Amino acid sequence: MTSDLPEWAYAAALASLPLQTHRRLRLLITRGLPSDVWDKISHGGLAIPSLEPHVLHAWSTAVASLPSMMHERCATLHLQVVSLHDPAYPGVLRADPDAPAVLFVRGNLDALLQRRVAIIGTRKATQAGRHFAATLSQQLSTLGVAVVSGLARGIDVHAHRGVERASNDGATGKAIAVVASGIDVVYPREHAQLWEWVACHGVLISESPPGTSPEAFRFPLRNRVLAGVSEVVVVVESTEAGGSMITVREAEKRGITVLAVPGSPTLNTSRGTNALLRDGCAPVTHIDDVLVALGLDTSRQHGFIDARVTPMGLCADVLDRLTGEPRTIDWLAINLAESVCEIAVALGRLEQSGWVTQTSGWWEALLAYSKS
Amino acid sequence: MYAAVKTAALLGAQGHPLVVEVHVGVGIPGFTVVGLPDESCRESRDRVRAALLSSELPWPNRRITVNLAGAGERKGGAAADLAIAVALLVAQDVLRQEDIEHHAFLAELGLDGSLRPVAGAAPMVSAVAMHDVVVSLGNHAEALIASPRHLRAVDTLVRLVSCLRGDEAWPSIAQVEVQEDVCAVADLAEVSGQAWARHALEVSAAGMHHLLLVGPPGAGKSMLARRLPGILPALTHEDALVSAMVHSAAGVESPGALRATPPFRSPHHSASMVAMVGGGSTYMRPGEVSLASGGVLFLDEMGEFAPTVLDALRQPLEEGVIRISRARQSLTMPARFLLVGASNPCPCGDIRPGMCRCSDSDHRRYQRRFSGPLIDRFDLCVHVDRPSADALVHAGGGESTAVVAARVIVARNRAIDRQGCPNALLLHDQLDVFAALTERARALLYTELEKGVLTGRGYHRIRRVARTLADLAHDDDVDQDHVGVALRMRSALIRPYEAMSYR
Repeated sequence: MTSDLPEWAYAAALASLPLQTHRRLRLLITRGLPSDVWDKISHGGLAIPSLEPHVLHAWSTAVASLPSMMHERCATLHLQVVSLHDPAYPGVLRADPDAPAVLFVRGNLDALLQRRVAIIGTRKATQAGRHFAATLSQQLSTLGVAVVSGLARGIDVHAHRGVERASNDGATGKAIAVVASGIDVVYPREHAQLWEWVACHGVLISESPPGTSPEAFRFPLRNRVLAGVSEVVVVVESTEAGGSMITVREAEKRGITVLAVPGSPTLNTSRGTNALLRDGCAPVTHIDDVLVALGLDTSRQHGFIDARVTPMGLCADVLDRLTGEPRTIDWLAINLAESVCEIAVALGRLEQSGWVTQTSGWWEALLAYSKS
Repeated sequence: MYAAVKTAALLGAQGHPLVVEVHVGVGIPGFTVVGLPDESCRESRDRVRAALLSSELPWPNRRITVNLAGAGERKGGAAADLAIAVALLVAQDVLRQEDIEHHAFLAELGLDGSLRPVAGAAPMVSAVAMHDVVVSLGNHAEALIASPRHLRAVDTLVRLVSCLRGDEAWPSIAQVEVQEDVCAVADLAEVSGQAWARHALEVSAAGMHHLLLVGPPGAGKSMLARRLPGILPALTHEDALVSAMVHSAAGVESPGALRATPPFRSPHHSASMVAMVGGGSTYMRPGEVSLASGGVLFLDEMGEFAPTVLDALRQPLEEGVIRISRARQSLTMPARFLLVGASNPCPCGDIRPGMCRCSDSDHRRYQRRFSGPLIDRFDLCVHVDRPSADALVHAGGGESTAVVAARVIVARNRAIDRQGCPNALLLHDQLDVFAALTERARALLYTELEKGVLTGRGYHRIRRVARTLADLAHDDDVDQDHVGVALRMRSALIRPYEAMSYR
């Protein structure tokens, strides 16, 4: 056996064994140093009663060069591999009973030393929800709080876009992304740019070895890691059966505070969050609500000013009617007793100053953030 | 024993004069038709023979050759039946050549010697309009459209012969009263709510702007579109003539008279390419784009049409005519129509934020059905939602067709007086002359362009729509508010969820 390979290469090899699951991997890693375990597997000397014989057989016939292959692969991809034996393994996960035994990391794990808030939600979010997620994460980042999310479509990706925007203005709060696929498998593909940005300016974490495709069962597992690295979880929008609810359950198991953003009772996207509020979660309508949950001082003026021009006249009325629920031009015209043209012009002005946005004819207000 | 008689043949939407030559000579008795006749033309031999015999007119038991001159073009249809019969009678000296010198004949013959109507009477009559034209009673109204020198409508071959000989006076033609609206368009007042879409409809009618209606099933997209012909300005005499000719040529709903109401065509989404643009293997027929000329072509469920069929619309949309080229012939038919499309926003139809049940890949697949260049040709893209309870109760019935049509005609006349064409047909270089922007309007458009939301083509389309909005408001200048509304009316293009950029 060539023993000039580092321990992490063996850890990566163990994680890439066929029929590997996170429980089996944890079982292996807790047996001893990865290289020792690997030796035992390849020489058939591994005896764990809870492992099925066909699994042991599959493992013992695995390619002997797997550690060196993984070594080369992770080195080319600039992946850091940390196992429970590593001093670099994040402290926050070390205490977690269900934490992944081996992590594949791109970026700087020091981001996990910051205060961490997860911002999660549905993939089919409303524009208002996206805007909320982005603004909240931008403000958290400005205050030096790291934002955890999953780089999925919808709320997730906007949470990290907010960090990106804040970072361009010199904010220090990092982006922490916990993904389900291998770190070299960008999913969804349209997020490739942000994926790369997070790797450079924050940290990308996955428990799957490189090359793993984003199979459906990996997402609930990812959610447990996502919950595990967070101190507070904020659910911006979620349906009642959404994946965000899995994260919420995982967070509750670990005693992590879950906050929810209230929404209109008529929208599918608020069903989950409203149910959470009903069950006793604290609501988030402002960044201070998150800061309180983190135990941070909110008495300080953090000085977030809404730079948007305050709408006047009809524009103000229109904005007022849009708060809470998406509306159509027709609805606004009837309720404000104005012609559709007047409404259209007002909406145009509001859109230009960033107060409203539309999806296929439905207009939504983007909420104000400064407390008056 | 030779005779020549004038008739006409149909090519696309146009008639062509044609001479039927008959030669009766010695030889084995027989009947041959030459000059590239199609099957129905060749069968005229049996119809003509039976018609002559049952009319107790002589049939020569000799060698008969019929030539449809010019010999190089394909001829189809049964319109030459009567001309062949008349030519045979002339060849047998039943009629004199002088009797028929100034006549053209267009009818199919029944076996009992009666005259039957043919498709395409109007364009064929107009091709021989310098002569006295004889048609069947059934084609009488249609033939009047082409206003020939004299129109003769008779019922049987026997009567025709005695009229031509001068034994009998031509039957007097009952004056056809001009039917105003054969099929009345439903009234706009029946549409409740939908103020925004109604306004878009009005703008579309005033400026001839192509309109895309996007909305869930049951929102009333088709209902709105079907009421569009009612608010369009009435057809001019020339346009009505073109439309009547095309309808006649296609043999659909033979018009009794010139119709002032613009045509409305809504082909089913299974329509083939030939059905849509015209053409055909033996002889060419006008397609839906030509039938809709001067009026509205409505494509319901636009995403369900074959992509090639939709893309074939692009050339007529640009040029106002359709050019069809085949190996044997090529022809041009009118195709200046107002395109109205209707589509669901996505497969499930519920685009309300957070309510859609489609996956992102569903969205993307649906989106791919519409080619970008075609979508880009719509000046107006508005969303139509199911009317809310509020709209149904409070808005009640909207304005009636008459009220809206009055505004539309005023706005259209402003455009015609100013530049001689509807606003949608303004050329780029005319825009600065006829649709000059105020300083504020220019600034607004500039910011939109800078944001990258607007393409160059979109920029010009917005300006044309803004011009129409200004016309509807009786404003001479195109101001900020007009541009603002025009921008909103184009902003609802179908987009997948994730493609919407975060601002």
